[in-house]
Amino acid sequence: MELLGNLGMGLGVALSLTNVFYCFLGALLGTLVGVIPGVGVLAAISMLFPLTFTLEPTTALIMLAGIWYGTTYGGSTASILLNIPGTPANAVTCLDGYPMAQQGRGGVALFMTTVASFFGASVGVILLMLFTPVIASYALKFGSAEYFSLMLMGLVAASTISDGSAIKGLAMVALGILFGLVGMDTQSAAARFTFGSLGLLDGISLIALAMGVFGVAEVIMSIRRVGTSSIDPESVKLKAIKPTRDDVRRSWMPMVRGSTMGSFFGTLPGTGPSIAAFLSYAVEKRISKTPERFGKGAIEGIMAPEAANNAADQTAFIPTLSLGVPGSATMALMLGALMIHGIAPGPTLITSQPQLFWGLIMSFWVGNVILLILNIPLIGVWVRMLMIPYHLLFPSVLLFICIGAYSTTYNALSVWQVCFFGVAGYAMRIFGFPGAPLLLGFVLGPLMEEHFRRAMVLSRGDFATFFERPVSAAIMAITGGILIWGIWTSNKLRKRRAEELARET
Amino acid sequence: MLRFDLKDFIGGFILFAIGLTAAGYAATEYSLGSLRRMGPGMFPVGIAGILAGLGLVVMVQSLFRPPERADIRIWSPLFVLSSIAIFALTIPHFGLIPAIIGITVVSSMAELKVRPANLALLCLALSLLTPFVFRVCLGLQIAMFDWPF
Repeated sequence: MELLGNLGMGLGVALSLTNVFYCFLGALLGTLVGVIPGVGVLAAISMLFPLTFTLEPTTALIMLAGIWYGTTYGGSTASILLNIPGTPANAVTCLDGYPMAQQGRGGVALFMTTVASFFGASVGVILLMLFTPVIASYALKFGSAEYFSLMLMGLVAASTISDGSAIKGLAMVALGILFGLVGMDTQSAAARFTFGSLGLLDGISLIALAMGVFGVAEVIMSIRRVGTSSIDPESVKLKAIKPTRDDVRRSWMPMVRGSTMGSFFGTLPGTGPSIAAFLSYAVEKRISKTPERFGKGAIEGIMAPEAANNAADQTAFIPTLSLGVPGSATMALMLGALMIHGIAPGPTLITSQPQLFWGLIMSFWVGNVILLILNIPLIGVWVRMLMIPYHLLFPSVLLFICIGAYSTTYNALSVWQVCFFGVAGYAMRIFGFPGAPLLLGFVLGPLMEEHFRRAMVLSRGDFATFFERPVSAAIMAITGGILIWGIWTSNKLRKRRAEELARET
Repeated sequence: MLRFDLKDFIGGFILFAIGLTAAGYAATEYSLGSLRRMGPGMFPVGIAGILAGLGLVVMVQSLFRPPERADIRIWSPLFVLSSIAIFALTIPHFGLIPAIIGITVVSSMAELKVRPANLALLCLALSLLTPFVFRVCLGLQIAMFDWPF
């Protein structure tokens, strides 16, 4: 069978000594970053991004992906022990994880969430293996009009479905695309928005943008807010991690349901692990015969969300690898990593770079096994990480960001860009503008322009081409639906919040 | 007391201004071409126009909304951002180690509490660790000291 042959080849790539090492490194760093509150996954990936420049593209991607799913494993630790979500995707885990820790069952909670994470991730990877090649082979028939529509749909969905105002999200997409256009125009070689700077001819650095908007802005927001609190080291000793038979019995179905929901929401643009975790928690609570146990340390309440967010982490790669259309800011960074290494993302990726594609997928198995090993015996180590004071941590984070940016070009201009996007990122937090759509727009902007221009040349300047070709028309119709729905719900949400506010005062 | 959401009004205005400026700049500096053969200016003008439009919508919406309290702090962001600026200024002229010490000292002040002993130790640790990671492990060619004199 062809699939088995590919899997074998991928496993060979993933098990090479270098790749296992970098997979381990990524998973380790990811867990570390996930455990420490105040350093998010986007900040972490962009911070470690420059380190992957010297690597082979496959190895680079393996490591970056390891960081991405590693944070979700690690993030549950902070949620359970401190009641502070290590990443937004772990926020729901606090609801039942922290009460478990208070009852002295923190060790059990950590152990079981690791199992749930592994289970969810496995389901996600299996779906990824099965569906990505199928979708990609279908997408090979797509023309520029279809691609433009697809990217538009991805951007609209990602900016309107996420929390907050849909209009603000869309505005950030537009701003991101505008930033993406800085530099040399690929078709006419005209320098755009460079204002005479030679350094800007190559465009704004993706790394500087991501590190400024996510890293620097996050550091600013966390200073004097993130505290380290006391943890009882007794509760996480190894002997206390053994779950009871009742725990295991209760955990099965929530894991299965969580993985299913997570896999589904992971593939959709704009939803992703956070929403998957939240919804699967809500489902568990609704179908439970004893909903009153939730919020007081119900094991179902940590198993379902942790399975869901890890499944979503993996299936998020399906649209990214099969279509070249990322659904979240993190996936946009992955795509950016590919492009920096000179690999064109899209449906041809699987056939033109089979080593990379199958190697990456098989490395997910390796990585998840590594994480399983890393997390269970080393729980005590991670807990100690939580005690690093933030006043030592954040100058180091800033330093790594700056050196990372500098090392990409050996030009201080990159560091100035970090500074500029740090200002922009902080301003965006003040005004309530989301950062993820900005990054997505930035990565997709140049690709969108290229496809838009090509589609218009082919159609002789007729906009109708996007609505006449059936696939493109269908995608455009869905996009329109998402847009209307997104604006409608965000207005409704705001109204409800305003009413609540009025009632309180 | 304001009756509308000033924070969103200003935010929307900034987007509107950026969009309008960018659209105007692109329209005058770069050739637009035709829909059939688009020049380098066409797509930027369109996107910047959309940005200006969305900024306008945010502004208009803010007029019908109750004010929200903005959480603005001045000193912490200022110290963090100036520490990055100091790094950018130092590294091309003085080398890596002075830049490390500069960024560490200035950014530490963002806590608005100076711990001299801690700070000195952190500077020392980072000055030893970062060259090791970037020079030895990654083989980057960054000068440790690069005195201009």
